[in-house]
Amino acid sequence: MKRALENAQPSANFKERKKRKLADARTIAVQSQTTTSAVAGTSRSGPTVDNTMKRLPGAIDVEKFAEARSFEINAMKSAMETASSASTTRAWQILPRHLRRRAASHNPRRVPLRLRDKARAEMDPMRRKTLGRAMPKLGKQKRLPKEVIFMRRQRDKRWLETHIWHAKRMKMENMWGYRLAVTPTEKAFRPSHRASMRGSILHDASYLSLVEMKGPQATLKAILEICCDAQDISPGAKRYTSGARVCKTHIYEPNCYPLGLICPITVMWKSKPSFPSQPLDETSKSKKGKGKDKQPIPSPEASNNTRILWIYFHPSVFDVVFSILRTSTSQILEAAGREGTIVDVELADIRGELGIFEIMGPKSNQVLRGALSPVMAEASADFKKFWASLGNIQSCGSVPGGMIVGFPVNDPRLRFPPKNAKVQLPPGSNVSPPIGVFPSAGLAACSIWEQNVRNQLKKPRYETKHINERRSKNLIPGTPLNPLRQDDRIPVMLIQTSVQPSTSNNAESIEGWTFIFPAGWSMAFFQQLTYTGTRIAGQRERKTQAFEAGTAYFPSDYPATSAYQTYALARAKGEMAKWTRTPPAKRANYKKLGTRSPWIPDWKVVLGWKEMPDELLTDEEDAEDVDMQGLVTTQREPESPVPAVADPVVDDDPPVRIWLLRGVEVSSIISQLSEVLVPGQSLLSTVNRLRAKRFLEPLEGTVKHEDLLKSALILVRITICSKGSSSDLSLVYSIPDAELQEWRKGLTKAGVDPIPAEVEFVTLPDIVPAPNSIIGYITTGGFSLSRGEGSAIGAIALIRLFELQQQAQSRFRLSHYVKSDKTLFVKVRDRKGHQCRLARIHVLQN
Amino acid sequence: MVRFKNRWFLVEFIPIPSDTKILSTPPIPLSRSSTEPIQLNLDGKAIYSALKQSVLSNYGDVGWGAVGLSLSVKYFSPTTNVCIIRVGRDQHKIVWGALTLLNGIESAKFIPNVVHVSGTMKHVQLAAIAHNRTVIARYRAMADAFGKIFS
Repeated sequence: MKRALENAQPSANFKERKKRKLADARTIAVQSQTTTSAVAGTSRSGPTVDNTMKRLPGAIDVEKFAEARSFEINAMKSAMETASSASTTRAWQILPRHLRRRAASHNPRRVPLRLRDKARAEMDPMRRKTLGRAMPKLGKQKRLPKEVIFMRRQRDKRWLETHIWHAKRMKMENMWGYRLAVTPTEKAFRPSHRASMRGSILHDASYLSLVEMKGPQATLKAILEICCDAQDISPGAKRYTSGARVCKTHIYEPNCYPLGLICPITVMWKSKPSFPSQPLDETSKSKKGKGKDKQPIPSPEASNNTRILWIYFHPSVFDVVFSILRTSTSQILEAAGREGTIVDVELADIRGELGIFEIMGPKSNQVLRGALSPVMAEASADFKKFWASLGNIQSCGSVPGGMIVGFPVNDPRLRFPPKNAKVQLPPGSNVSPPIGVFPSAGLAACSIWEQNVRNQLKKPRYETKHINERRSKNLIPGTPLNPLRQDDRIPVMLIQTSVQPSTSNNAESIEGWTFIFPAGWSMAFFQQLTYTGTRIAGQRERKTQAFEAGTAYFPSDYPATSAYQTYALARAKGEMAKWTRTPPAKRANYKKLGTRSPWIPDWKVVLGWKEMPDELLTDEEDAEDVDMQGLVTTQREPESPVPAVADPVVDDDPPVRIWLLRGVEVSSIISQLSEVLVPGQSLLSTVNRLRAKRFLEPLEGTVKHEDLLKSALILVRITICSKGSSSDLSLVYSIPDAELQEWRKGLTKAGVDPIPAEVEFVTLPDIVPAPNSIIGYITTGGFSLSRGEGSAIGAIALIRLFELQQQAQSRFRLSHYVKSDKTLFVKVRDRKGHQCRLARIHVLQN
Repeated sequence: MVRFKNRWFLVEFIPIPSDTKILSTPPIPLSRSSTEPIQLNLDGKAIYSALKQSVLSNYGDVGWGAVGLSLSVKYFSPTTNVCIIRVGRDQHKIVWGALTLLNGIESAKFIPNVVHVSGTMKHVQLAAIAHNRTVIARYRAMADAFGKIFS
């Protein structure tokens, strides 16, 4: 009772005070009469000509009138401002969103110094009393140190070095053994997209797995050629082995090309400035010696043929890729052993040795120029030229693709906070000049490749507090610190990266830099780069970048890989659980809609290796209902008497694994195959030709060309012709000829080049398609902000693609329309909806 | 949810000098010398009571009963004779009529000029600012014109 009374009083006071404050804020100030001697006068006044001579208007009067009126204007303005701010804004609401902190409403220390008093005044007085402890909390010494507590939380997952910064601002999730940021907590979808198109956006990619290989150049080349993509340029080509460029390719199971696709990889050779003094043998068989198994014995430094290379790739497939590399190595070494050569190859896992940041966007050049301060003393002329022009280029597209630049930088904390460089265009032109430097081994040389250099840098020489002390001793506050002899010099590498569908540049690509530095310096560089106004990207933003650029994203857009299976199964489990939890009235009824696999794409059924499940009629109630009402089901599939029993004739595993036809030459392969009568034969011969390019034997005789063709999937880009967008796991149908005519009539009626938003079909979307006309699924779909229309990336069966092309051909021949092009049309249906939409399909160059 | 909606009036009281006859054009305030300012000696309370009397006499007890609860004078400036009055939305026509029929308080005669009506205080304040600016601009133009004639 007593406590209630105590509590009641302060709150009543508080309420009264607040009311008074609000009333004060709302009243409008009135100019007191005694201060002015003149009256403002009225507004209704007009001059009459005949009176002008008699009365003298005083200029002073006008001013006094104006003064009184202007006082009123100011009073009104200030009343408006104070009224709104007094009632609705708190101290922390005045701050922009990225400076707001959680718990600012009850902890005034979370708010900048200038607003702290205001925040303290706004706090609930009871709370304020409890927070303002007069006595300090005891037992701080007995607490465990922070490092120990943090290490305990990392037992089943690893944190990146920038974890705490990300954890305060982003939603985190456990992925691939790491705790990674998915998306910022504030609304950041459009700002992140704008940043990747016009500004700069940074992604901490230190979770990527790194593998180092050491050995003679020819051996390493042979090892890579067994497992890498045969359509691409070999990773052992001259342009890559000099170390001037990175090689972006895909890795397959050894000797299995094109069947065992694993993931995309990036290969980097350590630069060898004195190239090409060693003979580049084309085959490893010419080497003589005895092959040793891989042992961690370092190869002799004196041998000038030992090369080092780094491979980095997605962490979800680390084990697989590492074992593939080991298998390939042993295979090559065995082959060399049969010849009798002594060959030493070392394979090392160097995860956690390097930090990797991906900075994308046109402003990334200016950001890097402003944030990094390279050591210019020992820099080569090439590098000086490069560094001078880096600040002036307006897009990383003007830099040669895959270019590597290595250089030492001074401790980034010395020049904190950084200033962005300004673009200086040459006089009289709107276009910035090209970079003027070609990739070379000398430019790419960097001491980050040496293990002892990296080890030395794991702990910084000066802690941040020492540097801050130094800064406080500056004579003129605010000047950047000059680097001392004892300060660290950190070797870093900049690699030009782009997110784009194929090796050729196109307008939709997103370009940027990959910034590599030794471990231990993540936070220093991260803070430096964040203060430049760069946005920070999580996994979702990275995926969106790939989607907007029109390229496939690993693992969600690679349907024939095991990583995709894992990803798809995990997602299916989550979605199915959510669906089961939802009451039936609030969720989509997939049975009624006829979506036969709403959780995960059933590629086997699409390709014809598995019978369609008759689950749609296994539900007893549904079947009875339908029969009793005497209605005919809208599903046109054949009703088999024994549902859901696996047909023993058709295997679960197809004879040839499902594989993805992808690569640089895909479109030419497809056009070649579409002209042939028996595309399977031609496909097999093409595959064997590519394998021969890499000295692999042709695929075994047991592989039938029909099976190879039947198991092939191909990645496509789907653009919806009308308004709307398709989401993930939407179904792609082929359209029968007659229906296609109707669709096209509707399309041309809309105009010559209709804007998707203006196209509308009335009855055609409701036609229920036959389930056996499903040709594929969409793996990533949505509304594309850069294109302004619905766009999607998916995969369809290769045979069905040929059928679509034949359909287009016959249409072309019989066309009645003036504008007849050979675009391939399909229908897309969202798995939750029943309406189909017309869409165009293009083969995706990947 | 029932919301109580209001109407806000921005009114300016144009004073009529006591010795003027009713003219077709309103008199020029500048015709008076600055030593004799037109003062209306008004107050927020005085306006309220005058308005009340006007409603009672023109609309009767019924009118006042409808209006009385929500009527209030929020602002009045004696220097510029600008007044902001708040009424409920359903009764604002009554008050508007009563205001128009108001021609003075005791000795001071004036013409009420309703400049702006709106639903929020904010827009009335904005309208007041705009009104003041046009008045200042008009005076300035006039002063320029006079100056040119005499220069």
